[in-house]
Amino acid sequence: MLRNIDEGVLIALESLRVNKLRSTLTILGVVIGVATVMTMASIVEGIRTQVFNAVNAAVPNVFYVMRWFGATPFDPSNPPYEVRIRPVLTENDAAAIARAPLVRHAALWCRFSSRIEFEDSRTQITEVWGSDERFIELQGGTLLAGRLFAPSEVRTGAPVTILASDVARSIFGRLDPVGRYVRMGNRALQVIGIWHPPDNAFRQPGATTGAFVPYRMAKGSFRFDETRELFVVVLGDLSVSVGDVRDQATVALRRFRGLRPGLPNTFDTITQDQMLQMVDRLTGAFFLVMIALSGVSLLVGGIGVMAIMMVSVTSRTREIGTRKALGATRQESLWQFLVEAATLTLVGGSIGILVGLGMGEVMKAGLAIDARPPLWSAAAAVVVSIAIGLGFGLYPANRAARMDPVEALRHE
Amino acid sequence: MSDLVIHVVDLVREYQMGAERIQALRGVSLEIRRNEYVAIMGPSGSGKSTMMNVLGCLDTPTSGEYWLAGQEVSRLSDDALARIRNREIGFVFQTFNLLPRATALQNVELPLVYGGVGGRDRRDRARRALERVGLGNRMDHRPNELSGGQRQRVAIARALVNEPAILLADEPTGNLDSTTSADVMRVFDRLQTQGQTIVLVTHEAEIAAHADRVVTLRDGRIASDLRQDRTRAA
Ligand SMILES: Nc1ncnc2c1ncn2[C@@H]1O[C@H](COP(=O)(O)OP(=O)(O)OP(=O)(O)O)[C@@H](O)[C@H]1O
Ligand SMILES: [Mg+2]
Repeated sequence: MLRNIDEGVLIALESLRVNKLRSTLTILGVVIGVATVMTMASIVEGIRTQVFNAVNAAVPNVFYVMRWFGATPFDPSNPPYEVRIRPVLTENDAAAIARAPLVRHAALWCRFSSRIEFEDSRTQITEVWGSDERFIELQGGTLLAGRLFAPSEVRTGAPVTILASDVARSIFGRLDPVGRYVRMGNRALQVIGIWHPPDNAFRQPGATTGAFVPYRMAKGSFRFDETRELFVVVLGDLSVSVGDVRDQATVALRRFRGLRPGLPNTFDTITQDQMLQMVDRLTGAFFLVMIALSGVSLLVGGIGVMAIMMVSVTSRTREIGTRKALGATRQESLWQFLVEAATLTLVGGSIGILVGLGMGEVMKAGLAIDARPPLWSAAAAVVVSIAIGLGFGLYPANRAARMDPVEALRHE
Repeated sequence: MSDLVIHVVDLVREYQMGAERIQALRGVSLEIRRNEYVAIMGPSGSGKSTMMNVLGCLDTPTSGEYWLAGQEVSRLSDDALARIRNREIGFVFQTFNLLPRATALQNVELPLVYGGVGGRDRRDRARRALERVGLGNRMDHRPNELSGGQRQRVAIARALVNEPAILLADEPTGNLDSTTSADVMRVFDRLQTQGQTIVLVTHEAEIAAHADRVVTLRDGRIASDLRQDRTRAA
């Protein structure tokens, strides 16, 4: 049966060539449907990759402990009951976690927003991390100039800061920032180092990390959401899985908080995998909607293919009769038109893949996310477009297969 | 018995047209032996094409028996009939029925495609069939690059390529002028000398004169069945 594929493919390509307009309209639905899926897959995969990189810019055995981790947003000034009953994380919590044997390091960190100003220039509101001397080790990137926080500066919450290199460039220009003072809010902070963020970190416009300061400095001088912007960053022993470390940290914090067995945790732990899962859940819903929408265009495309195949079968009735006279069985006649239909939709699907790739490039430039369609989406597009051809080609092909040879040969 | 290529007994073919029942064949019995050259004649509507369709296994009789090369084929399934057409029957149509997009060679290869013959063997056999009809130098031409007579010779090569038990031609010269008709008939004559069994339908006495037996149908019955000395062009 497979021996007739080449012929069906050639006939389909020929009819595409001869009836350019008709064929283009026919496969347009398939093109749009496939391109939509490809584009969406690019966006979702791009976001996912970036979250992954952001999370992974850190060491793989890093995870976080938070007061609450969930997908549903809420008003930070009035958190829901199940959030309110949980205590806010403290440095003592972090210390308790740090005492677990497999934990190499644990510290309370926070995030807040501020402009960073130097003389007359200032940045947009940017994200600032309150952290400790191991920020780069845990979050990635490199120190371009100056130094990290000294342990004493972390301990006392000294008014010092390390600026991201792009922030430093935008407010200092050609001046050497190290040693000079910037303002954040009403605080003057001495720049002690310049940090180059990891290349692939999650860098949405306006959400870049602009600087970091000692945690205690941040705690004393800035306001932040103690549910979602306050967390313990935990570095586990590399020799064991992050899950094992997380279990130990959980036990340690439960014991420290005096939770009897059977009581639920009063905190959440978030590994990188869980973060990705959450992103997947969010993007998955989005993705489903897009699949439904592109399903409609694929349906339209499929019906178009069915129509054009009906035309093809009718206009080639004599040919069908001739082939039957020469020995084509029903199955062989069926197959001939299925191959033709599948070729049409595969051409549509291939164009859709190219359009999707193009859209991915456009978005990469426009949205500054790395939107490259994943391989699986191209493979799926190929499979789906062939399947549409086979599915919607079945009715016309079956008509050809059931034709009576005498009638078909007599057809004008 | 082994000499008998076609043996039909009391063949009836009825068509139902609404309430009316049309009998295109009303009990035809006929024997055709190997290497016979039979012309079927008769007025329009006498059942010639119906007869050819049944003999070619494109159609099945309403009643009667049909033995083709020793096998009873009047009650076979569609697919079994397709196989028989592929192996035992070579068709030549009045309107050639070549695939317009395919070259002469590809057209001739088609029965071999359905016969499961592949690759080099297929090309070689198709090439030899084209050489037998004198078109060895036109293999890569498409039908619209060939004259009517040449097209019909391609169709004959296509009918021959599977070495069928019988070659069936329904008015093969009906669309040709007298010179090209003569070309085509020369091909039939030569094939018959080489051992091919041939049945052809024609309205023209000059064409029928090539055969060594003329069967005349009238109203779905055999009116006469005569042997004759054939006339052959030089
Ligand atoms: N599909 C059909 N449905 C109904 N009647 C048919 C059908 N095919 C043929 N007939 C009838 O059967 C009879 C024989 O037709 P057939 O085509 O065999 O004649 P023919 O001898 O080949 O005529 P011609 O010389 O005009 O080709 C005619 O009366 C025709 O109308
Ligand atoms: Mg006829």
